[in-house]
Amino acid sequence: MTATNTAAQQLTAGPEPTTPRTRRRNRTWLAFVLPFLVPFTLFYVVPIVYAIWQSLFKTQRTGGLFGESHQVFAGLEQYANVLGDDTFRQGVLRVLLFGVVQVPAMLLLALLIALVLDSAVARLRRFFRIAFFVPYGIPGVIAALMWAFLYSPQLSPVVDLLNKVGTAPDFLGANLILWSIANVVTWTYTGYNMLIIFSALQALPQEVYEAARVDGAGALRTAWSIKIPMVRPALVLTAVFSIIGTLQLFTEPVVFQAISTNVTSGYTPNMQAYAVAAANNYPFSAALSVMLALATFILSFGFLRLTQRRAAA
Amino acid sequence: MKSTDRPGRGRQRAVALLLALPLVATAACSSSGSESSSGSGGGSTAAASSCKPASGKVTLQFWTWVPGMQQVVDKWNAANPDIQVQVKETPAGNAGTYQNMFNALKANTAPDLGQVEYDSLASFRLQKGLKDISGCAGVNDAKAQFPDWTWSQVQMGGPGVYAIPQDIGPMALFYRKDIFDKAGLKPPATWDEYAKDAQVLKARGVYITHFPQQDANWFDGLLWQSGAKIFDISGSSVKVSLDGSDSTKVADYWQKLIDNKLVATNLQGFSPDLYKAWDTGKVATWVSAAWGYSTIRDNAKSSAGKWAVAPMPQWQAGDNAAGNWGGSTTAVFGQSQHPAEAAKFALWLNTNPEALTLENSLGGLYPAAKAGADLPALTKGVPFYGGQKVFDVFKQASSQVDTNFQWGPVMTDTNRFLSDGFTKALNGQGTLGEALKSAQTQTVSSLKSQGISAG
Repeated sequence: MTATNTAAQQLTAGPEPTTPRTRRRNRTWLAFVLPFLVPFTLFYVVPIVYAIWQSLFKTQRTGGLFGESHQVFAGLEQYANVLGDDTFRQGVLRVLLFGVVQVPAMLLLALLIALVLDSAVARLRRFFRIAFFVPYGIPGVIAALMWAFLYSPQLSPVVDLLNKVGTAPDFLGANLILWSIANVVTWTYTGYNMLIIFSALQALPQEVYEAARVDGAGALRTAWSIKIPMVRPALVLTAVFSIIGTLQLFTEPVVFQAISTNVTSGYTPNMQAYAVAAANNYPFSAALSVMLALATFILSFGFLRLTQRRAAA
Repeated sequence: MKSTDRPGRGRQRAVALLLALPLVATAACSSSGSESSSGSGGGSTAAASSCKPASGKVTLQFWTWVPGMQQVVDKWNAANPDIQVQVKETPAGNAGTYQNMFNALKANTAPDLGQVEYDSLASFRLQKGLKDISGCAGVNDAKAQFPDWTWSQVQMGGPGVYAIPQDIGPMALFYRKDIFDKAGLKPPATWDEYAKDAQVLKARGVYITHFPQQDANWFDGLLWQSGAKIFDISGSSVKVSLDGSDSTKVADYWQKLIDNKLVATNLQGFSPDLYKAWDTGKVATWVSAAWGYSTIRDNAKSSAGKWAVAPMPQWQAGDNAAGNWGGSTTAVFGQSQHPAEAAKFALWLNTNPEALTLENSLGGLYPAAKAGADLPALTKGVPFYGGQKVFDVFKQASSQVDTNFQWGPVMTDTNRFLSDGFTKALNGQGTLGEALKSAQTQTVSSLKSQGISAG
């Protein structure tokens, strides 16, 4: 709320009158930005533009089966192929279902832990902050491998125990595997998101709490009516990160492919783009990647706009 | 809110996506216009490409994932000071190396030689990746040294020769002799018997085998045995018959085993779970290739001495047909400046007894060269298999592999479509017959996207 106000003030303030000195200062600014701008352009902007360029072509061949191949301009044909592709549609629906369940669950958990830590004793705070953050420090592939072992029907001590107690769910089966993956992702990123929310809580002014205490609010009431509304920006930020991450789900399902018989090559859109590129169908793969980027863009910005409008209302 | 500049989950994943983009970017260099076909035998080569040795010292690059290959090449380098070979050890082809090779070909930085599996040769040829080395000294004469079916694989239905066979994977039946004996069973001679044995074993709480979802090329080997001709690449257009009558027979057979819950459907090929199931005797057989002997030996250690090998079950009693699963060739890539030297090295690597012995002992290869079958290591009894001379079975199987079988030019895709179909069949959401049908349609459209006429 306050942030948007100051931004608005700056916008209405209008440009400063330019003098030679400020113009020189403008050029100095460029020298500082250049070391970032050059690699950013080379390794970020150019590949994206190139992917878009590639997606506008298709392969044609003259001279029979092993003849010469040419790339010919095909307009939006590859995009029509992507939209008509069952695997892509199912993949997108799958990650959306995943996101609708996993993202709120994870953020709720992160928020809860952050609130608990915020009102905990300082010494405990330090320990748990680290403890919850550790999973994020473990490389994704390693984490997925570890969980795959815990889910495995033949090797897992957990499954073994559940079998002894009664019946163990088939974690890698067709119905459960998506949620088994969701569990790995939640385990990995809850601590990371918790830390962002926790930092926001730490930055809140103490006067507000004093005022709340004077008004007779208890700890729960303070959390609900003061803390949560005040860390809204942090929640929005973590939600946007999580939406982006969800759409690009790749590591966990790929690792699980080696142990479960239920992960297809196009299980997620990102996996499909990878598999199609591996089969030398670059134009289609580029179109898939661009569509995925577009969907990510629309969803995350849509979410931002939605929350901003809510905030303004 | 200072923590926002930490790369978050989204950003990390974005990197994963962007990792795929440079792959796209590396394809840039040659996407516009036509690629130079520097003697890489596209279409019909009227005369075999000329192949003159260079004067002076030559250095060759060689990419391979055979363990211990460096030691084999050291021997070559010591004996051939003018043709030095540099080895780069890579992950397995389908684990990313093929993609690196294709990218290197696009960027004109490909090595002179590379390990390429039989089923991927056509894909490389399609991308102008292979040199026709039939004009190089000694290549055509080497034909007699290899099984006919391997030579037809490296010729791809034409007069050219595009690689030298390295190793093969003739298939047979690995089975737990102890479990079979206890159940009063003999190794099955036909697939019918195999299905009957499956029921007997199931009653004892044992699956006869697992159906791997990822190993489509294993299933290809079964199709190969059945006499199915899934591809015909002899003409100018590709004929795809993945769902022909022979293939459908194989698919229906395995579908019945799946329906009757006689095979394990939740064990992925080459997974620790599978190895555990072998060890504990939950799974009693594996129809696999010659190189599979080391897979079992190294991963199911506690079942040592309990396994034996028998010929593959037949579709008709009295038949003698075997399939092949895997195996590689040494290919000379299209941009090599020194095809004569590269071919010379590839021939030595795959026919020299000393080289073959080392490749077998260090890399576990079952050599393609006929002479390889007589290596001491491949004529002895193998302790893990109770002293059985298992390689006799594979030697015989190799002579029974169909010579006319051809791979398609987009096998990566075809196998991917098959695997995706297998998932549905294993889940009970489809059948293996449907998997063949959908792989058929998808392969045809994949071929069309490469500009190939297919049907």
